[in-house]
Amino acid sequence: MRLVVADDSVLLREGLVRLLSGAGHEVVASVGDGTSFVDAVVGCRPDVSIVDVRMPPTHTDEGMRAAVEARQRVRGTAVVVLSQYVESSYADDLLADGAGGVGYLLKDRVTHIDEFLDALNRVATGGTVLDPEVVAQLITRRRGPLARLTAREREVLALMAEGRSNAAIAQRLVVSDGAVEKHVGNVFAKLDLAPSDEDHRRVLAVLAYLRD
Amino acid sequence: MTTATTPQIMTTGARSSWMRRLGTESAFLLVGLPLAILSFTIVVTGLSLTASLLITLIGIPVLLGTLWLVRGVAAVERRRLGWVTRAPMADPGYRRRDREAGLRGWLNLLRDRQPWLDLAYGLLLFPVALATFIIAVTWWATALYGLTWPLFGHALDATKSPGDQDLPRLLGFQSYAGRSAFYMGLAVFCAVTLPFVVRGLTGLHVAMGRAMLTSDVAALQQRVATLTASRSAAAEAEATSLRRLERDLHDGPQQRLVRIAMDLSHAQQRLDDDPASARPLVDEALDQTREAIAEVRALSRGIAPPVLADRGLAAAIAAVASRATADVNLDVHLPDGERLSPSVESAAYFIVAEALTNVAKHAHATHVSVDVRREAEDLVVDITDDGVGGANLAKGHGLAGLADRAAGLDGTLEVSSPPGGPTSITGRIPCA
Repeated sequence: MRLVVADDSVLLREGLVRLLSGAGHEVVASVGDGTSFVDAVVGCRPDVSIVDVRMPPTHTDEGMRAAVEARQRVRGTAVVVLSQYVESSYADDLLADGAGGVGYLLKDRVTHIDEFLDALNRVATGGTVLDPEVVAQLITRRRGPLARLTAREREVLALMAEGRSNAAIAQRLVVSDGAVEKHVGNVFAKLDLAPSDEDHRRVLAVLAYLRD
Repeated sequence: MTTATTPQIMTTGARSSWMRRLGTESAFLLVGLPLAILSFTIVVTGLSLTASLLITLIGIPVLLGTLWLVRGVAAVERRRLGWVTRAPMADPGYRRRDREAGLRGWLNLLRDRQPWLDLAYGLLLFPVALATFIIAVTWWATALYGLTWPLFGHALDATKSPGDQDLPRLLGFQSYAGRSAFYMGLAVFCAVTLPFVVRGLTGLHVAMGRAMLTSDVAALQQRVATLTASRSAAAEAEATSLRRLERDLHDGPQQRLVRIAMDLSHAQQRLDDDPASARPLVDEALDQTREAIAEVRALSRGIAPPVLADRGLAAAIAAVASRATADVNLDVHLPDGERLSPSVESAAYFIVAEALTNVAKHAHATHVSVDVRREAEDLVVDITDDGVGGANLAKGHGLAGLADRAAGLDGTLEVSSPPGGPTSITGRIPCA
C-alpha cells in the first residue's frame, strides 16, 4: 500500500515509517503538521493515511480536523487517526460523513504490529475501525435497550463496533461463524436495526445506533 | 460602598424568584421589631443606670457592660443584614483591650468610635423598626384581608352592632358587591405594591446598617482576609496535587521504564550466545512498555484532560461520565460553544471527575445524576448519587483538595452525605 504519515514527533514518525516499510508498504510522504498532511493527501492520493491528533500549531485536535478536511478534499480517502488518548466525541467527527474508510485508534495499538497492519488494511478497503476504548465509551453511554443484550451479545456488538467482520469475531471469541451470525441477528433484532449483509454497512448501522 | 461588598438587595434577586425574596424580606422586617425593642431596652436602661451611677464610678463598668451588650445586638444585626442582602456585612473591627494597661485599658475602650455607633444604632433602630414593622404588617394585612373579604364579609355583617360603619360605607359604597370591589381594589393595590414597599423598607434598614455598623475599610479588610485564605488554599491544593503526581510518576511509569531497561539490556547480552532465551525478555519488556504508556495516559488525564482543553467542559464531562461505573444521568446546561476560563472549567471538571471516582470507590451507588448549569455569575455543578453516604471533607480525602481548589477560585464546595445516603456534592464557582 501507499501511505501518507503525519506526526509532529520525529521519533514516532520515523518509527512508523520504519515499521510500515518493514511490512512492505510504501510511505510516499511523511509530514509534521495538519496543513502539509492535507496537501500530501491531495497531492499523493495514498491508499490510506495515518495522522496524529495533536500537532502544531494549536496542539489540540489539529490532526482530527485535518483528517476531516482531507476526506472532504479527496472524497472518501481512507484515514486512520492515532492519538495518545481517545474520546468518543472525537470519533463522532470522523464518522459524521457516514462514508467509511476511517479508523480511530490509540497510539499504543501500533505496538501490536499485526493487528495494526490489519486495521490499516480494513480502513484502506473502506472499512471502519474504532479503538476498543472508544467502543467501550459508546456502549456505556447508551444504556436503555443495550441492557436487553446478553453478555455474549454485548461482546459481539463491541467487536462489530470496532469494525470486525463475522469471521474475525468468530476467531476472537473462539466460536463458529454460525454462532456469530446467530448473535449478530439477535443484536440487530433487539436493537431494532435493519439487518445488512455487507460488513461495512453493518458496522455503520451499529455505530450510528451507538452514537445516537 | 466598594465593589467588594455591594451586591445590592435590588440586584441579587436574579438568583431567586421575587416571591422568595419577598418572604425573606418580610421575615427580616417582622423579626426586626422584637430585636429593636430588646436593643432599645438595653440602651435606655444602660444609659440611665450609667448616668445615675456615674458619680460613684460604678457607672463606668455599667457603661462598658451596656456597650458590650449593644455590640452583641450589632453583631446580630450584621448577620441579619448579611442574610437579607446575601452579601455578608463586614465587622468593622473593634479596638482590643490592652491587658497590660489595667484600668486605662478599660477606659481606652470608651475612646473607640464603633461601640458608640452601635449604641446610636441600638437607639435609632427602635423607631425605624417600629415604623417599618407597622407598614409591612399593614400592607400584608390589607392585601390578605381585602382579597378574601367577599368570602367572610357576610359573616361580619351578621354580627355587627347597629351603627357600626366600615370605610367603604362611609365612602358611599352601600351594596355588598360595591364594598367587595372596594376592598379588593385596595387589596390588589397593596398586593401589587407589597414587594416594592417591603423592599424599600428593607433598604432603609440596610442603608442604616451600612452607614453605622460597617465601613469600607472593614469590608476591604474582610475581602483581603478571604482572598488570603483562598490563595493559600489554592497553593495548598496545587502543592498536594504536585506531590501526588510525583508519587504516581515514581510508583508507575518510572519503575516500569527501569524494569524495561533491565530486561532489554539482559536480552541484549543474551542475543549473542543464546538468542532463544532473549525472546521472553523482549516480550516482557514490550508488555511493560504498554503498561507504562497506559499509566502515563491516565496520569496526564488526571493533570489536564486533553478533551477539556480541546472541546470544553460539556464534552469533557460527557467523557468522564461515560467512563463511570454507575449509571450516570447527565444534564449539562451550558450555552453551545461558550468557553469559560480554563481554571473554572478545570475546577468544575475535577469536581465531577473526583465525585464520580468516589461514587465508584465508596458509594455502592447504582445511579448518579450530574447537573451542570449557570446560575447568574456562578457555574454550579451538582452530583447526587443513591449510594450509602458517609462522604466528608476531612483532610486527606480527595474532596478536601477539591474544596481547596474551589476556594482558590472564590468558590465553594458543599457536601451533604448522611450515613445511608444519598450523597450530594455541590460546587459553585464564580465565573464572571
